[in-house]
Amino acid sequence: MEVFLQLLINGIMLGSMYAIISVGLTLIFGVVRVVNFAHGELLMVGMYAVYLLFLKFGIHPYIAALPVVVLLFLIGVLIQRFIIQPLLNADEHIQIFATVGLSTALVNLALMVFGADLYSVNAPDVRRSLEFGSFRVLIGQIVMLGSAIALVIGLHAFMQKTTLGRAIRATAQNRNAALLMGVKVDRIYVISFGLGAACVGLASALISPLFPATPTVGTYFVLTAFVVVVLGGMRSMYGAFFGAMIIGLVDSLSAYYIAPDLKEVVYFAIFILILIFKPTGLFGLGRGTE
Amino acid sequence: MTQHTVTATPATSPLRLIAQITRPQVYVSLLALSLILLIPLGSGSPFLIHVFVTICVFAALSTAWNIVGGFAGQLSLGHMMFYGIGAYTTALLIQHFSLTPWIGMWIGAILAALVGVVIGYPSFRLRGPFFSLSTIAFLEVIRLLAIHFNGFTGGSAGLIVPLKIGWAWMVFSDKANYLYIAFGLLLVTIAVSLIISKSRLGYYLIAVREREEAALAAGIDNTKVKLQAVIISAMLTAFVGSFHAMYLTFLEPATMFSLGTSIEVAMFSLIGGLGTVAGPLLGTVLVVPLAELARGWLGASANGLHGFVYGTVLVLITLTLPAGLVGTFGPMVGRLVDKLPGGGRRPEERAAPALRKLEGPKGEPILVTKDLVMKFGGLTATEDVSITLRRAEILGIIGPNGAGKTTLFNLISGFLKPTSGTVAVVGPKGAMISPTTPDGFARAGVGRTFQIVQPFGRLTVLENIMIGAFLRHPGVQDARAVALRVAQTVGLFDVKDVEARNLPIGGLKRLEVARTLASEPEILLLDEVMAGQNQKDTMGMVELIRSIRDTGVTVIAIEHNMHAIMSLSDRIVVIDSGRVIAEGDPNEVVRNRKVIEAYLGEDYVDAQGL
Repeated sequence: MEVFLQLLINGIMLGSMYAIISVGLTLIFGVVRVVNFAHGELLMVGMYAVYLLFLKFGIHPYIAALPVVVLLFLIGVLIQRFIIQPLLNADEHIQIFATVGLSTALVNLALMVFGADLYSVNAPDVRRSLEFGSFRVLIGQIVMLGSAIALVIGLHAFMQKTTLGRAIRATAQNRNAALLMGVKVDRIYVISFGLGAACVGLASALISPLFPATPTVGTYFVLTAFVVVVLGGMRSMYGAFFGAMIIGLVDSLSAYYIAPDLKEVVYFAIFILILIFKPTGLFGLGRGTE
Repeated sequence: MTQHTVTATPATSPLRLIAQITRPQVYVSLLALSLILLIPLGSGSPFLIHVFVTICVFAALSTAWNIVGGFAGQLSLGHMMFYGIGAYTTALLIQHFSLTPWIGMWIGAILAALVGVVIGYPSFRLRGPFFSLSTIAFLEVIRLLAIHFNGFTGGSAGLIVPLKIGWAWMVFSDKANYLYIAFGLLLVTIAVSLIISKSRLGYYLIAVREREEAALAAGIDNTKVKLQAVIISAMLTAFVGSFHAMYLTFLEPATMFSLGTSIEVAMFSLIGGLGTVAGPLLGTVLVVPLAELARGWLGASANGLHGFVYGTVLVLITLTLPAGLVGTFGPMVGRLVDKLPGGGRRPEERAAPALRKLEGPKGEPILVTKDLVMKFGGLTATEDVSITLRRAEILGIIGPNGAGKTTLFNLISGFLKPTSGTVAVVGPKGAMISPTTPDGFARAGVGRTFQIVQPFGRLTVLENIMIGAFLRHPGVQDARAVALRVAQTVGLFDVKDVEARNLPIGGLKRLEVARTLASEPEILLLDEVMAGQNQKDTMGMVELIRSIRDTGVTVIAIEHNMHAIMSLSDRIVVIDSGRVIAEGDPNEVVRNRKVIEAYLGEDYVDAQGL
């Protein structure tokens, strides 16, 4: 029983990490209607940025979050402006190829610059564990959970309460109607992609102390993020959050009870089943076949 | 419409096939292909032989991928699963049963085809990026399973192919032998791709890719043709995998089921031109040598360089040449090649096969609906509609906007399944049958047009009509002849070589009729085909519908052009709020009080004192 509870705790902590990555993916898909296959590589770029800031200037990852979020926002803006925007009316497969190509280019760029070695940020304070009775949690994980909750609530409030948020929602629901209402749709897309990428910037700062940066770290996380987003119904922030929690739990439990190297098989199986039988997501919050 | 007689001409006698070689397109292609063999053999350099074996392997993989990813438009990013299955099956069969790879590769191919069907069947309902994601997920699952069951596959540590040298074991000390086999595989793959592109299957795949609904209406079983594409593609990919395993002599899950390689294979097709026969080969020839040379010269320091170049090229191509090299420059090069000796020949025109004879006595019930009800949530769009269509009549359906006319059409063509009630049509043997799918209805002889036109945008007008014609004429030449005849009848002959997406709305409406007509239906459902036509074309359309009926076809037409529908119809059914409110002779129907109420409101009826 104690093992089980510890596994639950681990699962929720893992889930909060997936949640932060997935929220950005959901935002981009929900508004721009483009599946960003390069999302994981944005995380990778962010993690190297955090590492470099730490190495060169000794900046703590949590403080590095600020510049890295801004950096990622700008990268997102550039991607949307110069790659996605020109392809908005192109065939779907061309959009897929464009982000897949970007992903391939970024992974290999990192391989050229940093090689295949692992780079870890040494932040012992974040890796210290707190003990609650016989259960233990890393401080970094608690920060992650708090950040995930704050991010989802904050983004939701932003979408509901601000003019910009309302314009983003209007664009997501009907691009043409929003255009007719005077919303500068192209700019909304640029901002949304930037915001989605900025979420990944936050994620990279929080993940860096816990996971080493490698060229393929993004591929590892993004496949999971896709599972989460599909599970959560593609468009819904809260859906993504709960989807992430479920995948975190599945990850933690199946690694222990089935086999460590088969946990991905379990959630890819869930992914395939959801896509095929319940494309609106587990909570019926989206429309996956659109 | 005049009846044409069939002239029997054997399409592919051996002599004709050999005569083809005098065509410049054929001899230029063969010469270009032979360079792949001659350059490395002429140089005798082992490195060049290796580069060209790699080119053959990737060109064959990309050509096989293109059958699913290009022709059928299903962007698989997990295609290496078929390659890996072929490779592992062959290697394991040698290891455990000393089975020669020449047989093992067939078992691997069959296994790959089975996996393709099992994965494709559920995944094909997914659209665009979600299909791609599911193929990635399947690839990952297979890769992880291959690592997990290490007792069987050797796991991450890998598997070494038993080294028995000789043709029987496909392992050689003279590397040139590998080149012969790789080149042979490439030729087979390209031949299969070429045959598909020139056959009904090729046209059907493009139709499904462009518009699933219109493809169904043309009688195409969408899932079936996509599965056919997957089976062919998976088998070819597995063959290449089997060979490549023997060439590499070492298998590990990370390279056999690689996502990166799956993307590369798709990328070569995009660069060369998706959905073209020569594109995948051209893309591979242009990109692979660069990467291999970089690897050869720079060694390990080039780690990541080729991938970076691949990715960048991929992004640039999507932004500048989305149709790929062959798609963009192919037609131009084709015209140049045609100027060479032996060129400039046009395919001989062939007489269209005879129209299908429609049998059965005039006036017999040909389509019967019984108590049809269609509910969308709380809304009842169709309520207790029972109508009987009689052979060779023209039945007009009128009613105010939102009355449920198009819903009724969708019910009697299989695009909607009724909440309750039945639809039956006369089957081939005269008995009433009830098909369950749109393509089933089309095959039973119910042809429909769409109110919102559904052209196959990237096909020419003639090819659009051919998609319809294929239903009764599987041969490409026959279908083309039928389509030409129909284009003439409907008034699209002058624009037959225009891409459908460039037609104005009036032309698109006629194209809807043409495509449906080409499928030689017994019952023709016309949904507002007069809309968007000028006065003269409307008169032409009325004449056309009459002449179609005179060939024995039964017509149901939804129409808002009252003048046209009244003069055309033998009988009128009026629908309002999903119910039939009047039925009968056109002249009686227009005087019916309920009908006037439905169109103009009760007040009008009262004020006129009707």
